[in-house]
Amino acid sequence: MYVSLNELSAALRRCFEANGYSVGQYEDAANAIVWLEQHGCKGLDELYRSLPFLETDQVKPGSQVSYEDASSLVLECTGRSALNCVAAAVDLVQVKARHAGIATLTLHNCHNRMFVMKALADCGRRGLSAVAYWQNGSDVITEHTAAIRAGDSYPNYARVALSPEACDDVAEHQSLTLLCTRQLNLTSSLRNQLKGKDLLELTPQQLEENGRVALDKGIHIDAQLWASINDIGSAVLVENSESSRQGAGE
Amino acid sequence: MTGSAAIQASLYGSHALPLRPAGQVMQLERLGAMHQSRLSFMRSLVRRIMRERWQITPALMELDDQGYGRVIYRIQAPQGCYSFVLFSDYLSPEDRNDRVIATKWDLTMALVAGDLATEVSNGDESYLQQLRDNVPKQEAGRVDSRVFVLSRANRSARNFDYVVDQLARGEQPEAAKIAKVGYLYRTTAVYGSGKLGMADWQKVQSHWLDFARPFSAEMFVCFMLRNFSLLQAEHIAKTRSPDTFTPMELGLKRYFGIGNSTGLGMAPYLINHPLLINRWVEMRELALGRICAMAEPDSSVRDRFGALLQRCDQHTREVFCEDEWQENNNRMLLDDLQRLQQQMIDGISDWSSLLQWSTQHCSLQGQEMLVSVLLELYPTLVDELENHCCTNESMDLDPQMSLTELTSLIENHYDWALDIDFSQPEAKQTFWYRSEEKMEPRLGDCALEPGADKQMPLGIGYLVRECYDQLQAFAGHEQATCAEFLLQQPQSRGIVRRIQAMSNTLFGEIRANLLDKDVLPMHLLRAKLAFFGVSKFDPRSKLWVRNTMFQGAPLLEDIGKPFADDWFMPLNPQSNPQSDR
Repeated sequence: MYVSLNELSAALRRCFEANGYSVGQYEDAANAIVWLEQHGCKGLDELYRSLPFLETDQVKPGSQVSYEDASSLVLECTGRSALNCVAAAVDLVQVKARHAGIATLTLHNCHNRMFVMKALADCGRRGLSAVAYWQNGSDVITEHTAAIRAGDSYPNYARVALSPEACDDVAEHQSLTLLCTRQLNLTSSLRNQLKGKDLLELTPQQLEENGRVALDKGIHIDAQLWASINDIGSAVLVENSESSRQGAGE
Repeated sequence: MTGSAAIQASLYGSHALPLRPAGQVMQLERLGAMHQSRLSFMRSLVRRIMRERWQITPALMELDDQGYGRVIYRIQAPQGCYSFVLFSDYLSPEDRNDRVIATKWDLTMALVAGDLATEVSNGDESYLQQLRDNVPKQEAGRVDSRVFVLSRANRSARNFDYVVDQLARGEQPEAAKIAKVGYLYRTTAVYGSGKLGMADWQKVQSHWLDFARPFSAEMFVCFMLRNFSLLQAEHIAKTRSPDTFTPMELGLKRYFGIGNSTGLGMAPYLINHPLLINRWVEMRELALGRICAMAEPDSSVRDRFGALLQRCDQHTREVFCEDEWQENNNRMLLDDLQRLQQQMIDGISDWSSLLQWSTQHCSLQGQEMLVSVLLELYPTLVDELENHCCTNESMDLDPQMSLTELTSLIENHYDWALDIDFSQPEAKQTFWYRSEEKMEPRLGDCALEPGADKQMPLGIGYLVRECYDQLQAFAGHEQATCAEFLLQQPQSRGIVRRIQAMSNTLFGEIRANLLDKDVLPMHLLRAKLAFFGVSKFDPRSKLWVRNTMFQGAPLLEDIGKPFADDWFMPLNPQSNPQSDR
């Protein structure tokens, strides 16, 4: 089935609100998913994988600063989804980049790091360049990078499946490294892309075009996933009563 | 046309015009005293249709003798072709319900991109069938992104039958009866902006430029419904008694509008779209500021001013409502209009002084009516502002802002919120929630009803207060940034972003505690309906209101004829003999 961007966003906000996210957090989470899906980066697949863990994310401790100096920050994300923590983390590294010129952010124990893409787009819009790198998976390790230039609206993105010998232990820590700067225009490409398999590359132009098509046609979503999102979100609705109906109309 | 940069310069910076202060304009009670004006969306839409001479024709008309069937109007506008599709079905008395929770209606409608009637005449009924299968179901159906408005309406049974009987007999309906209920149909919901699978607003704004103004497409559907309602009544009367039937006189026809019931659903919109509401207020206040700064009340303008005051007086006398509160408002308004008439006779030196005088001698109803009348006097200063009522609604966090600056923003722009004593239970006694019934927004009393734990975050004043207190607790970290604060206090992320964004606007937030025990949601409904351009407010409780849309507006058959754009505060044709042109 197809849903509009607004419809998807509203349903997602209810879904996250029902899981204890506060106003700003559920807005950010919904925006991150819709952004990915609208631009052809499979945000709904990523959401589907995160749904079983939504409830527990809110009871885990918040992000902890493991290390910090003028131009670097290491955050322990306590096993939560990037939906829950990446926006605030990228805000922090942006502040450092504005002061120091270049700043680095490392996240540990952060799931669904693909959602960093919306935060990268925000960096570009705010006049900063940024590049992110992460690995994912257990049986098959995939390597990801995305970068955006200052002032741009869309990053580029590349993903490749690594051969076993190219893997390191980064993936085990569910880590992400992000470099943010007001001085340089960063780009990125994967050194392993010639050796790896299933290379996927998306240019800013492709993302923009995907966005146009989604705005025109709406977002295709699996009916069961749509039902699940709405079912979870129904927890914010209040049961009817005769007294609640009174005065609300004829 | 004045460009966006010049408009911004008129509002902000060293060349800004003096405008009424936010502390005055954004008081909820004053917003709830607003009236329709030249900048109301209905007026703006009709101006566009008339000036651009849209071609609107019934391209498929399949109605039986009871008026049931399907209809497609083809709309050829300068930037595109659209179809207004309408399904008219029998509705049993037990299914008749104006509430949002109803499931069946007399009429269901959709506004669709492209020329659907031609598709049908070429033998392709597939899309029309898709609409037939879904549009009558409304919320229980699904449409696609070719559709951009979905609506439904129910007959005002007494009025409709009476009008059909009169026309079938060869007689005109009595204007006095129409003055009491000025419509044949009431619309109970008008959906757009991506609901139920429809096109998103961004698509409407970028693809269908004829409707690229706020609520333009939604208002157009109501305009078309009004025209269809008259056509349908005449069709049934003519079919029933072809020998005696007489068409309705044009003056009387124009006096028919469309009824509307508006409930709490509209209230959260105002709180959840603060940048847009600020923009609408900015344009209205800029229009007023231009008039006060640039326009002189010469004798011809004074004559017109007097005539408009008289019209407002007559219009208000022709409002029928049973609600004591609204009746009292109308009585105060009539007194104010008398005082304004007297001021005019005594002599008006400039509009600014009259406006100032009104704040001392008129109720809020009268003060805001004066604003609407002044806007009516100067189309050249006012009308172009209708092109600037859209705005980018995204709120962006400034993570680098220091907490000192954030605190200062709150103290300067949200002083009204800090003045509320939230330690008093009454200040948080009301909660707003979404009901399981179609997610209908409702109000609850914390002391009496369950559900406060699921309330919508509409108490902006309270959220600001909480954030301010957290900032105080962060004492000693004044030079810390918002990013650092929000890492520790992630629950404040939304309100910090909102405070930052709204502090950059001229008028900011609606200044009211929506959680207060005595909050009057009617003011919120009335404010938005005034921006739409409705008249004849008739509250049925403190939570919902009936009103009339497009009363006095031109008819489809008027398109292409001279148009004075003078349907402000429409009058009963019997008290306005010039109306039957």
